[in-house]
Order: sequence, then C-alpha cells, then structure tokens
Amino acid sequence: MESSRPNILLADGDAESQRVFRSFFERRGWDLAVVPDACHLGEALQGESYDIVIADAGMPGLSPNLLLGQVYQKRPAQALIVIGESPDTDAGVRLLRAGVTDVLTKPVDLTWLERCVEQAMCFRRHDDRERRTYAFVTSERTEMEFSCKELAEIHVISLPIVSRLLDARQLAENEALKLRLAVQEAMLNAWEHGNLELDSKWKEEITKDGVDKFSEVRRARMADPAYAYKKVFLTSYFNGARLEISIKDEGAGFLNVWSNSAPPAQNLSCSGRGMTLMTNAVDEVRFSRNGSEVTLIKYLHTAGS
Amino acid sequence: MEFPTEIVGDKGYIHVTGDLDSEIAGEALRSAFNEIYEQGKRTIVLDLSGAQIINSYGIGKVLSCYQRLKAERGVLMVKPLEGFVKETFELLMLDKLLPVEK
Repeated sequence: MESSRPNILLADGDAESQRVFRSFFERRGWDLAVVPDACHLGEALQGESYDIVIADAGMPGLSPNLLLGQVYQKRPAQALIVIGESPDTDAGVRLLRAGVTDVLTKPVDLTWLERCVEQAMCFRRHDDRERRTYAFVTSERTEMEFSCKELAEIHVISLPIVSRLLDARQLAENEALKLRLAVQEAMLNAWEHGNLELDSKWKEEITKDGVDKFSEVRRARMADPAYAYKKVFLTSYFNGARLEISIKDEGAGFLNVWSNSAPPAQNLSCSGRGMTLMTNAVDEVRFSRNGSEVTLIKYLHTAGS
Repeated sequence: MEFPTEIVGDKGYIHVTGDLDSEIAGEALRSAFNEIYEQGKRTIVLDLSGAQIINSYGIGKVLSCYQRLKAERGVLMVKPLEGFVKETFELLMLDKLLPVEK
C-alpha cells in the first residue's frame, strides 16, 4: 500500500532554514531529504522519486527558470513549491503560470506551507488521468523571461508544457525532442543575434586551438552591460489542439543577419542550421518585428486519435 | 565535463558522453579533439552514442573539427549513429559529409 506520508525533497543552501524545515517536517512525521545546491538537486531528481520538491529559488547558481528546467525536464509532473526571497507578484504569477504548485516568500509561514503540502498531496492521490487533466488546466499559458546568464545555460532550460504534453502522451518522445531543440534554437537566435548582435561569419574565424571568434565575442558581450541586461521573453499557449510558442528578444532581430545568406543546411556554412531544425519541428514558423519575435506553431492530434 | 579519448592504431576516438548542446559540451569536444590532434592523428572518429540531442551550437563545433582535419587532409568520421542524433544529421545532410566508421 502506498504510504500517505509525504516524501519531500528540500533544496535550500541555508543551514538555519534547513534546521527549521527539518524540525517542522519531522514533528509531522514527514520524510525529508535535503540538498544544499542546484547541482545536488539535479542528481537527487535523477535518483529517487519525491512527492514534493520544495526549493529556495535564491540558491547560488540557480534562478527560477533554471529551477523549473532542472525539475520539469527530469520530472514533468513533479509537485514543486518555490520559496522566493521577497514578495514579487509578477514573478510569482509567472511561476504559477509555468506550472509550479505554489509560491511562498521568506520568511516562510509554516502553517501555510503545511497547507500547501497537504494540497499537493491531494493532487498526488488523484488517479493518473485526473492528474494529467489538471496539468493541462493549469498549463494553458506560460510566460517566462530569461536573463543573459540563464541563456548561457540554455541546455537545461525546459518548457514545462512540452514536458507535460510528453507525460500525457500527447507528444511522442521524438516530437518532444524536436520541439525542445526548436525552442533552444529560437532562443539562441534571439539571444546571440538579437540581443548580443553576433555575426555568424565569426564562427568561421578559428584559431589554431580551435577557438572561434564568435565564442570569444559572445563571452565579451555577456560581460558588457550594453548587451548583458537584455532579456529574451517566451510565451507559450496551448488550447488542446494547437501549441504556440513565441520567443521575443530586445534587439533588432536576426532576420537582417540571415537575409544575406540562404539557409544551406547541408554544407559548412556558419548559419542556417538552426532555422532548419526549427522548421522541421513544427508546422509553422512565423516572424514579426523584423525577426525579433518568432512564433513556433504545432498542431496536435487529440489524445487517442 | 570531459569526453574520454582513445587511440587505436592510426585513429583517435572521442567518446561523446553527453548532449552536444552547450558551451560546456562544445569546449569538452574541442579539448578532446586537441588532445588527439596534438598527437599527430589525422583520422578522428566521433562516437556520439552517449548524446541524445545535438543542437546547432554542437553541430558548429563538430564542423569546426571537420574543417581543421580537412585543412591537413585528415578525416573526421562518426560511429554508426542512432535515434534523434541520427535524424538530426540526416536532416542537415551531415551524414553525406562525415563518413561512418563500420
């Protein structure tokens, strides 16, 4: 018989917080494992399964977006309670829209936390079908914004709706991988060509050690305030049949970079491959605002069809 | 992140043990490549069986290795590809560019 005791993973780097939570959870007879940082969080999620993850979004090396990526890429249906540094309604709403179970701020009201854990456990007890339905109801629209630092870690960023569609078998694994790749490519383009204004031709200027100018300039511009504070915005919308993912940057866009070169996927050209990967993954790719906004559209068949 | 290398006869092998979709992975590939290249090997084989995904950044790094070898009449090969990585190579026609080691 399944245990009704919540099995919780706490990700929090602060020793005092760990002590308070441990004491609170132990008094209730709840099982608790603790990890101190993002790296250990990733490892823990690869191993044991937890009913609920409670994570401090202010842990070193972690941002809310990276946290979502780390958790949902490994566990699409994971109940996740995020603890933020201060009350920020916009940030809280964004996290909830991204599918987070609940958002709390410091200092944490332990009575409220207890209620959140009990509610999350309620959802866990629902049968699989109900849980999946719930996931869709809460995931119709997602809005996320990514800083320069987060975009450098783009490989761990995961779009919750894609993970959930996969979990609900609305997307095959191969289609989900294609979508993940398409979103990565669109975000890379928005960041590198839109915000950082990098020229693809620099990829061909390679030193004897194999270091290319593109990577060198990218590193320099990531440290330059004129470029580094620009963000990339992602909005996803799913209505049961159509998944729409828009990615917008704060630069001049990348159409001006690409317009001079056809996308030659099959050769050694430094550009065009990302576009091919994008168009292969979805049914439509639309550009607006001179290419500084790209919308990927995929039509999904209804479940069971 | 480090990708293991080995030398067998005239060939050098790079075992890509993770996704090729980040700067860290790209650097790991460059470093592994340099290790073999500096030993004078000009036939290098990429074993991508440990990668589930490769994005345009990773492909750019692979092509950079290809160009460095080509400039010295060397050859970059791949072990037989599988899954999504194979599909990506075929989509971008890289399977026509990089011979498969059988």
